[in-house]
Formats: sequence, structure tokens, C-alpha cells
Amino acid sequence: MIRMTIDDLVALSPLLAIAAASVALMLVIAFYRDARAALVCALAGIALAFAMLPVAASKAPRQITQLLILDQYALFYLGLLFIAGFAVALLAHGYLGRLGGQLEEFYLVLLLATAGGAALVMSAHFVSFFLGLEILSVSLYVLIAYPRRSARGVEAGIKYLILAAASAAFLLFGMALIYAELGTMEFAQMASVMAGGDVRQELLLIGQAMIFVGVGFKLAVAPFHVWAPDVYEGAPAPVTAFIATVSKGAVFALLVRYFANLGYEVVQPFFPALAAIAVASMFVGNLLALAQTNVKRILAYSSIAHMGYLLVAFLAGGSLGATAVAFYLVAYFVTNLIAFGVVTILSGRREADEIEDYRGLFWRRPWLATTFLAALLSLGGIPLTAGFMGKFYVLMAGVESALWLLAVILVVNTMISFYYYLRVAFMMFRDAPEGEAAAIRPLPSFSFMGAAALALLMLLMVWMGVYPGPLVQTIRSMVAK
Amino acid sequence: MMASVPTEYGLLLAGTLFALGLIGVLVRRNIVFILMSLEIMLNATGLAFVTAGARWAQADGQVMYLFILSMAAAEVAVGLALVLKLQRQFKTLDADAASRMHG
Repeated sequence: MIRMTIDDLVALSPLLAIAAASVALMLVIAFYRDARAALVCALAGIALAFAMLPVAASKAPRQITQLLILDQYALFYLGLLFIAGFAVALLAHGYLGRLGGQLEEFYLVLLLATAGGAALVMSAHFVSFFLGLEILSVSLYVLIAYPRRSARGVEAGIKYLILAAASAAFLLFGMALIYAELGTMEFAQMASVMAGGDVRQELLLIGQAMIFVGVGFKLAVAPFHVWAPDVYEGAPAPVTAFIATVSKGAVFALLVRYFANLGYEVVQPFFPALAAIAVASMFVGNLLALAQTNVKRILAYSSIAHMGYLLVAFLAGGSLGATAVAFYLVAYFVTNLIAFGVVTILSGRREADEIEDYRGLFWRRPWLATTFLAALLSLGGIPLTAGFMGKFYVLMAGVESALWLLAVILVVNTMISFYYYLRVAFMMFRDAPEGEAAAIRPLPSFSFMGAAALALLMLLMVWMGVYPGPLVQTIRSMVAK
Repeated sequence: MMASVPTEYGLLLAGTLFALGLIGVLVRRNIVFILMSLEIMLNATGLAFVTAGARWAQADGQVMYLFILSMAAAEVAVGLALVLKLQRQFKTLDADAASRMHG
């Protein structure tokens, strides 16, 4: 018998707030079509959900029915997801304004996608896992193909839909096999049932492997990465930022929680396969990025490589591994939001994603170019940036668990990655060639909200790189236990 | 009381359907048929959940099937909207036509 108490509702309040905001926004759109009102409504919804986190924290840790759990770990990632959703909404405003057409629903779907991610990081049961993932995915199909006249958007949307639906089927079949064998869908109970013995290991192994396929697709790790470059290129820039951060971050947080519940022994049979996936992701991402001329594709391949780095921290396991994953995810979120934010601000009716679009950017828009440069350096992992600290913690976790080979490969890959990050960076300092200067299209008008979001993210990134102590303390107390 | 079907048979049937759906997704080029093949895959997982629920005499498997059903409906709703956009943009339902991004 399931009973909900007031305490349960209080603990659920961040999710309730964002769901209520979605419904409210839908009503607003029905009666009053205005992009600005929709934006304010969405921002208010996410801010309200964020403000509910301390209220909910007073009840943590708390299991809410069988499906959801609210603990410090969930609170940490909820905060991260809400901040990212807020930033994407801010960045999208100026971009959508230049796109034209009816834009209000964009914010509605963005809210729903954020709610899906929030459900994912709170889930403690296959049902909530699946529902959160699907709310996120179905919202993303809509967001990717949102600009009505974009042929690339339709292509990206269809590619994502087919592959995401197929991977969801894999995930579900894996869940069904595990349920058939264990008789429970709760993460927390699985370990004890497995320890009880008398389960057929083969079915369990196939089930876990199929879950890995589904999750690996969402994370775009090699060999499940083929969709990523096309979808990153075809989707509107703010949506690409959302896919790179919220979608992947929520799934990774869930992956860590799932295996923390099941126990490290469950990962052991998969260790060689997972290590191979991590290595393949690093090499595929970094080597294929070398040949790209499109900035969004470069960032897509770079994010494939970053998921490989994260898998190293995941494989390291333990509390140091969890700390490294959390810190790396925060650094990855902030840096990617900045990088795609710059692309968003530069994009007008056409996406500013060819590397040539960035020729001489520093001489035309020095602040924007400096911001982009900082993001690229942080993605590469130059000291004094957030990305460096993230890589440092991942390496530390890897070395602590004696994953020497993975650690060495990580360092080698970091060096390869400098080449293509710096290629984009150098392009910004080149002079525009004579005669062609007139051909460079005029830059879109200044978007105040986008610039404000970028400035805040930039502050956050510098702070994380120069003075990471407080964040590490927070992560240690909230995530690593 | 009818003799119950062994769990293995149900899972095998579901696995076969799943494989057929997957082959359809990989082989078919018409986008509508790809969506239908995806439905077959999702329904195969539903069957697997019902079978698993029957083994443990729990309602959970059927509840999960209802969730899968509603999620598949949502997915097809968005999918068909995308099919319409594809037809309008490319004047074809061939999935290969919508493959202009390379690199």
C-alpha cells in the first residue's frame, strides 16, 4: 500500500514546482501568446524549483514511494540540472527571436525536458528511470526539430528519434530480463536478491548489457556515438547545449547511482568491455575531431571524448571516483554551456558553426572571443581552468584505483585534443582576408540576456579553476559517501 | 485453472519479436516502416515485462506495459509530425534522402 504524506510532498517539491510551471506555461500560451511572457514563466518555474531545493533538503534523505529517492546526491544533481536549464533558456531567448515564427512552446518543452532529467536523478526504480528518460527524450525530439524551416533540424530530429527509440527498446528489454530474474525493479533490493543466490547469471548479464547499450547511446560513447555529430550539427545551438549537458549529465548521474546500489561486483564482469568503451570513446572522439571544419561537430566529437574521460572516473569507483565524476560533470556543464552559448549568440538566421565564421572574431567581438577562448582552453584542460581541475580529479581517481593504462591513454588523448581546440582558437585571432571582408555577414544584434548568462557562467568557470576548494567540499559532503 | 506458460517461452517469443523489429529498423528505408518496426520492438519489451510479471505473480509487469504503451504513443505522435515535416522538406519518405550531413 502506497501512502503519501505531507513530508513526501515537501521532499518532492522541486519536481512538483517544475511540473506545475509546465502546466502554468501551457495555460499562459493558450491565452496569451508572447515569447517574452513564456520566457519569464519558464525562468520563474526553474527558479522556483531551485528555490525549493533547500526546503526539500530538510526532509532528505527520504524514499518517496518506491519510485523516487531524495538524498544529498539527488539534491546536488538537481541543482546542477536546474542551473543548466536556466542558462539554456536565457541563451535561447535571443537566438529564437532571430529565428522568427511561434516560439512559446520551445520554453514549454524545455521545462518538460528539465523535469525529465530531474526525475532521472531522483529515480530509484526501473519505472521512474524509464519515465524520466522518455520524458527527456521525447521533449528532445521536439526541441531538435523545432525551427520550422530548417532541413538540417528535421534530419537531425528523425535520426535522433529512430536511434533513441531503438535504444530505449534495448534498455527496456534489459530491464525486463532483470525483472524476470530478480522479481524486483527497485535498485536498492536488487543487490540483496542477487546475493540470495539461485538466479541465472546469464540472463542477468544479458540484461545489464542491454541496459548499457541504452545508456551508452544516451551518453554517445563509442560505438554508440554515430548520432552525436549529426544531431549536434542539425539541432539549434541552445538545444545542442542542452543535449550536451542536461541529457548526458542526468543519465550519467543515474548510471552511477544504479551501480552504487547494485554493488561494485556487478560491474566487474563488464570491466574489460567498459574500459574498451572508454578507450574507444577517447580515441574516436579526439581523432575524428581533428578533421572537422564545423565547430558544432568539433564540440560533438569532443563531448564523445569527454564521456570517455568520465567513464575512467566511473570505473575507478569508490568515493574518489564519485567525487571526480561530480566535479568533472560540473566543469563539463559550465564549459559546454559557455562554448555553445557563444555559438548561440553568434548565430542568426544561419547557424554560425563553420570554423570560417570565427575568422578574426577577436578583432570584431573581443569579449565574446575571449570567452570562447577560455571555454576552449577549459575543454582542453589547461591549468587554471575548470576543465583542468576536472581532469586532475579524474586522473587522481584513476591512479588511486591503479588504472594505469587508462590514465596514460587519458593524458595522451588530452594532448591530441589540444590540436583541434587551438585550431579554433587561432582562427579567432586571424585577420579577415582582404576583399572578402565585405563578404562576412553582419553579426546578429547584441542579446543582453545571453550575454548576462555567459558572463555568469564565465565567472563560475574561472572560480572553479582558480579556487575549487569550496566546490570539492560540497561534493564530498553531498555526493561521495 | 489453465496450465501456465513457462517464463522461458514468453521471453523467447519476446526476444524473437525484438530481433524482428530491430532487423526491420536496420533494413527498411521507408520512414513509416521504420516507425512500425520500432513499435514492434517496444511491444516485444512489453510482452517480456508481462511474462516476467506473470512469473512473480505481480502486477508490476503489466503496469510497466501500460507505461510502455503510453510512451510509445507519445513517441509515435512526435514521430509522425516529423514524418510530415520530412515529406514537406524532401518530398519523399525515404530515410536515406534525409542524410545530408556528413563528416
